Amino acid sequence: MSKLLVGLIDYGAGNLASVRHGLLHIGFNCRISNDPVVLSTCDLLLLPGVGAFRPAMQALKASGLDAFLVQQAGLQRPLLGLCLGMQLLTESSEEGGLTEGLGLIPGRVIHFGNRRWHIGWNSLDCVSKDLMFEHSSSETYYFNHSYYYDGPREFQMCTATFGEPFAAIIRRQKIIGIQFHPEKSQDAGRRLLKHMIEGLCHA
Amino acid sequence: MLKKRLVAVIVVKDGRAVQSFGYRRYLPLGRPEILASNLDRWGCDEILVLCIDRGRQGLGPDIGLLKRLASMRLSTPLIYGGGVMTAEQAALVVHHGADRVCIDFALHQDDVQPIREMAVRLGAQALIGVFPLARLGTGLQWLDHRNGVSRAFSRENIALFDQGVISEAMIIDWSHEGCAGAFDIQLVTRFPMHNVPLIAFGGISEPSQAAVLLSLPQVSAVAVGNFLNYTELAAQRFKQQLPDLLLRPTTYSRYV
Repeated sequence: MSKLLVGLIDYGAGNLASVRHGLLHIGFNCRISNDPVVLSTCDLLLLPGVGAFRPAMQALKASGLDAFLVQQAGLQRPLLGLCLGMQLLTESSEEGGLTEGLGLIPGRVIHFGNRRWHIGWNSLDCVSKDLMFEHSSSETYYFNHSYYYDGPREFQMCTATFGEPFAAIIRRQKIIGIQFHPEKSQDAGRRLLKHMIEGLCHA
Repeated sequence: MLKKRLVAVIVVKDGRAVQSFGYRRYLPLGRPEILASNLDRWGCDEILVLCIDRGRQGLGPDIGLLKRLASMRLSTPLIYGGGVMTAEQAALVVHHGADRVCIDFALHQDDVQPIREMAVRLGAQALIGVFPLARLGTGLQWLDHRNGVSRAFSRENIALFDQGVISEAMIIDWSHEGCAGAFDIQLVTRFPMHNVPLIAFGGISEPSQAAVLLSLPQVSAVAVGNFLNYTELAAQRFKQQLPDLLLRPTTYSRYV
């Protein structure tokens, strides 16, 4: 069986090197590009991201990748967002002033408030019956963020607790957003990433 | 529950990993990427690569080293420090694989606007302020390694934390760095910026010492350098002797 090809979206706001090497390590082919023609040939699109919401969204719009991603989601192309990439999948964020997101998953991104930021390793609780996430319950993963998803429970697959529970993984059909960094969560993260990409591509 | 962290530190000078003693004497250890690969396999919670000569010499961040580290396919969060003075440089460091960035000499500048720009671009959670400290009487003195001059904290520095521009402060007990069991806990208890998560580093070699530090609410992580680099599985052994509830359980890499 040929290896799945992951299209890593290069929009200038990502930790591309880490994600690319993580994907290669777990046995996927990987193509880094900002060209819709190239990305359209991939089995799954991965939207990475480290940084702030507003400049990242501006970069997506400037390159026309925002419209491309919405179109691809409409075509049922599997799409995975990591950390900031997950937040960009939502309708809006209050980071740096209210900014519209891709709107692929209902909900918004809000600040942690007095808790300020959530940095380090935290465990997951699976709150859905989705088998794709079941084995991740109680595993620990690396988080590094100041804002989090606030949206309907039906899209929340797993939560982590930081004072109170918040969404760590969200899903709508073939679109998944992961708030933490599976590519930097050692064996547990790699297992999850592999399982998720294969699960989405074969769903 | 969010865990506290064991950060493994690789001190780099002239492109080589070194064992450092009080930032005055250095013994070569080898290639930083090999050490990082070991620490990655041993399940450290974060790896900090601290290039101590980049800022002093005005060389900017060591992107070549970051590329070599990325090629090792590390799956442990990577913090990079050394020579980062501008938002552009900080973004480049993240682009090449670092998850977080240490700010050292930029904190000594009168104009802290570049640090604010880093936070706008990368988010405060990506920024760690580095403070080489020593005790003087009842206060703390903050060392500028470029000229060897120590001073007190400025109002601008305190504002960076109060306003949430930087997420954590790394306190380096520079005079005890490289000395077993010598970290001065009063550098933590006397740190003037309250409600700032602290990473303690310098002279931490014993799990019992780390346990005391991690039990303090303001300490989010302990960083250990030389003492993790000599023994196979040193990080796992260190973590096994710390209270389970504080840290992520010890892991052993099995993914092939």
